[in-house]
Amino acid sequence: MFLDKSRQLRQNCSGQYTMSKVNSAANEKERKHIVKETETILKRFTRKKQYLIPILQGVQGKLGYLPRESMLKIADYLGIAAIDVYSVVTFYNQFRLNPPGKHSIRVCLGTACHMKGGYITLDAWKRRLKIDSGETTPDREFDLDIVACVGCCTMAPVTVVDEKPEGQVEPTRVDGLLLGFGYEEGKKEKEKSESK
Amino acid sequence: MSTRNIQVTLKIDGKEIKTRAGEKLLWAALENGIYIPNLCAIKDKPEPNASCRLCWVEIEGEKKPVTSCTVEVRDGMVVNTKGKKALDLSRAGFELLMASHALDCAHCSANGDCELQKIAKALKCSLKPKNLRPLRRELPIDDSNSLFTLDPNKCVVCGRCIWECRKHGDKAVLGFAHRGFKRVVTTFGDEPIGKDRCLNCRECVEVCPTGALAFKEKAKLKS
Amino acid sequence: MKASELPAAAVFREIKERAESHVRELKQNKTYIMVGAATCGRAAGALDVLKAFREEIKKHNLDCPVIEVGCMGHCYAEPIVIIGKPGYPAICYGYVNPVIAERLVNEFILGENPCPEFVIGALEANDMLPSFQDFPRAEHEQKIVLKNCGHIDPADIEQYIAAGGYAGLAKILGMAPQNVIDEVKKSGLRGRGGAGFPTGIKWQYCRDAKRTPRYVICNADEGDPGAFVDRAILESDPHSVIEGIIIAGYGVGARYGYIYVRAEYPLAVARLETALKQAKKLNLTGSHVLGSDFSFDIQIFQGSGAFVCGEETALIASIEGNAGMPRYRPPYPAVQGLFGKPTVVNNVKTLAYVPRIINNGAEWFRGIGSRESPGTAVFALAGKIVNTGMVEVPMGTTLRQIIFNVGSGIPNKKSFKAVQIGGPSGGCLPEAALDLPVDFDSLQNAGAIMGSGGMVVCDEEDCMVEIARYFLEFTQRESCGKCTFCRLGTKQMLELLADFTQGKGKIEDIDLLEKLAGEIKAGSLCQLGRTAPNPILTTLRYFRQEYEEHITLGRCPALMCQDLIAYYILPDKCERSCDACVGECTVEAIYSHPKKRYKIIDQEKCVKCGTCLKACPPQYNAIVKLSPPSEVPEDNLKEKAQKSKP
Repeated sequence: MFLDKSRQLRQNCSGQYTMSKVNSAANEKERKHIVKETETILKRFTRKKQYLIPILQGVQGKLGYLPRESMLKIADYLGIAAIDVYSVVTFYNQFRLNPPGKHSIRVCLGTACHMKGGYITLDAWKRRLKIDSGETTPDREFDLDIVACVGCCTMAPVTVVDEKPEGQVEPTRVDGLLLGFGYEEGKKEKEKSESK
Repeated sequence: MSTRNIQVTLKIDGKEIKTRAGEKLLWAALENGIYIPNLCAIKDKPEPNASCRLCWVEIEGEKKPVTSCTVEVRDGMVVNTKGKKALDLSRAGFELLMASHALDCAHCSANGDCELQKIAKALKCSLKPKNLRPLRRELPIDDSNSLFTLDPNKCVVCGRCIWECRKHGDKAVLGFAHRGFKRVVTTFGDEPIGKDRCLNCRECVEVCPTGALAFKEKAKLKS
Repeated sequence: MKASELPAAAVFREIKERAESHVRELKQNKTYIMVGAATCGRAAGALDVLKAFREEIKKHNLDCPVIEVGCMGHCYAEPIVIIGKPGYPAICYGYVNPVIAERLVNEFILGENPCPEFVIGALEANDMLPSFQDFPRAEHEQKIVLKNCGHIDPADIEQYIAAGGYAGLAKILGMAPQNVIDEVKKSGLRGRGGAGFPTGIKWQYCRDAKRTPRYVICNADEGDPGAFVDRAILESDPHSVIEGIIIAGYGVGARYGYIYVRAEYPLAVARLETALKQAKKLNLTGSHVLGSDFSFDIQIFQGSGAFVCGEETALIASIEGNAGMPRYRPPYPAVQGLFGKPTVVNNVKTLAYVPRIINNGAEWFRGIGSRESPGTAVFALAGKIVNTGMVEVPMGTTLRQIIFNVGSGIPNKKSFKAVQIGGPSGGCLPEAALDLPVDFDSLQNAGAIMGSGGMVVCDEEDCMVEIARYFLEFTQRESCGKCTFCRLGTKQMLELLADFTQGKGKIEDIDLLEKLAGEIKAGSLCQLGRTAPNPILTTLRYFRQEYEEHITLGRCPALMCQDLIAYYILPDKCERSCDACVGECTVEAIYSHPKKRYKIIDQEKCVKCGTCLKACPPQYNAIVKLSPPSEVPEDNLKEKAQKSKP
């Protein structure tokens, strides 16, 4: 009950409080998979707090995000309180609590990109994908986020699409890139939204 | 260490004080009845948090005010806790805190025993800053524990409760999470403190300088 | 000591000879192709170019190595390719694509046509083609840390060694550690991470703090938006940084080194991993380096994305497995750092200077740059400037020389307005400051800082209030939240600035903003907080009028703030039968006047993305930005009202 109330309240708070909640495995099969992968990563490290971040990076690298089961397992392995893991996970931009989409879209908002309209590009992505930054589309195809700077300032505005930095991404190129993922997908979405 | 036994003499607000070498200025003052506003200072913590930024003082010979929780006493030091520059900075910090504090003294169980009220009095400033915008976070109150409630909207993120909770090692429940303006005292996954995981040692509530952590019993008595 | 001195030199001589013969085999009297494939080049398509060259070479069965190199700094012309062919100077080509690559192979490598139409410049002076030395920028540039960048294969340690690399390491192994520190002290090298603290003195503090083990950390957490020099160096010349770390380790008597590099720089991480493996294989790290008594190991730590971790105490907290919160200093990390032990934290560039200083001597280094700031300054030029990319100039070069002579000025016939130096901790300097010689102290006096070398040029279309808001939004988002001033103060300031850019707010709010900025500067715990107000303080100091105009007139003079502008199609200029803007509009907000056919923007639908303005053919140039939005003629708005009637 507390959680429901808290989620509701957080959503009401002007976007600042879109704290993503911790995700659990959906079923037993998924839980087993998570536990197995987490244990494989843990085996590579000795039980020292200093390995917390590399462990989290390893687990996220495997699973795409940090499920509740993994975090608890890691805390247990390192002999630290679960809150200490949570505190590190929520501090760094890299870590995510929700599963990512199939394609990752990272809009660079470095200075150079901002001045050349990175924020306009971000708006265009949001408009097309119908999600806010930090979110994943309901069909799990795309997740959208911002990145402080990828160091390709001379190609501004930059969007990193599936790890590949794309230069000069303006609103029309956003459409072009989405087209590259299959026009059908875009069309389907459009049809869906129109039928609504 | 051997320095523990050496005595140092210094002057705070004109009053001569003798204290141990290595002692932090803030504690030297407080132990001798000179109040300097503070929230995040913890006596038994070896490294000061230095995060509330309220304990500014001026030291003779130094251009800028310094936080007294981070400065070690020196022999012959002359300290002024009432200098204008220091007070201005303390007030500025305090106003920022108050602009984000869910002010509701009348219904707060800490009323009358609240560190914020004490500081406002010492700094001679209002609990409601005039110029700043109210920046409230409207976070949910956790009342899942049978003994106490946690209201993050009243929290000043001083970390005193966390310091106490840490003493339970890997059984600790409270900690900081999130970053920046969203930084908050919370639990794993922002889940309810509940009575099953919390050891109910009550220490966190005892040390809370505001009404953020409050005993339910006391709140009932108040109302 | 004596016993270990000789073997190291001898072991290294052997390594060096092998490396030199390897490079001779690769390049001497031979045609070779080098493709710049750092992240910036890759974003421009360098990998496709690389592939095209390889395929073409294979097709013709040529004996011609295609070498992947880093970034030369001429990022404006990416992808960049250098071709060396006997009988020709080495030639640098720009804007290369797979088609051009194919032509270069067929016409230049197979034929004798160097294709001058694609040439940027030859690397050395010659009487065939213009060379880089003939460029106006050559007069100002002097490359020390960027010397190898773009000229060697970062994944091939032998190319670095053949270019003089690791000679510094071999040299110091025969010196007493204290002498190494003395040499760095004498050179006057100051930390390139931003604050400019003398590197040698930092090393001395660490060495004098007797406790062991000591650590050296290379701070490669380049989080400043707009700075990319560290990334470019790590991707293009990782060994120079590694050599610097080892030398620092020897000087301070450390056993372990860390490279703290952002996980957002995957290529830099990969390059470092390769480089470290190679260095270890040649025993340049590991136990008994080159047969000496000195043992040293380096490992990579990937930062997880928190700008505040550029602050050394936060960085250390992060390696220890905690949230990256800065702590109160002193004790400084040099005395009490990683795991409580003495730790030197140096920036990438700082460490990259070290091998060169050891090789060429402190006097040589002191001879470059200005008295208080010896050496060179490296900047990442970005924003509204023709030659975006990296520049390295001696300290003391003026901003005007950097922006106009090296960077070739402002593109599109726009005029210069301001230059932002030092990222979120730096400041915006106006035209009047252009003749300022660039060094640590002069920039600080003007309100900016050297920072980690981001230099973003603004033209007349950049709004200073918006720039200040942008940087503050960044620092506010990246604030760790530990101390009151930074956590809450930056948020208060951001609210004020956001209001300004929306034409809201009161004129007194400017004074409140200034007061808050001063308090946050004085009251914050760490350098991130203390410098966060700089963008505001400098824009207030130099562009106060712009703030006032936003508030009193609801007008953005630079036509940048989206809430204060409107796009408008001039009916007289609109060609009417052309549909370019209608077709390009991403939200279908443009329609034709029912009778007169000129185009009209539905202001309610318009998202102000500016696509139409770019789409409108230049011969019509019919679309303009107006501020405040109420400038749009009422009848133009009425047309819409009529149209929307059923």
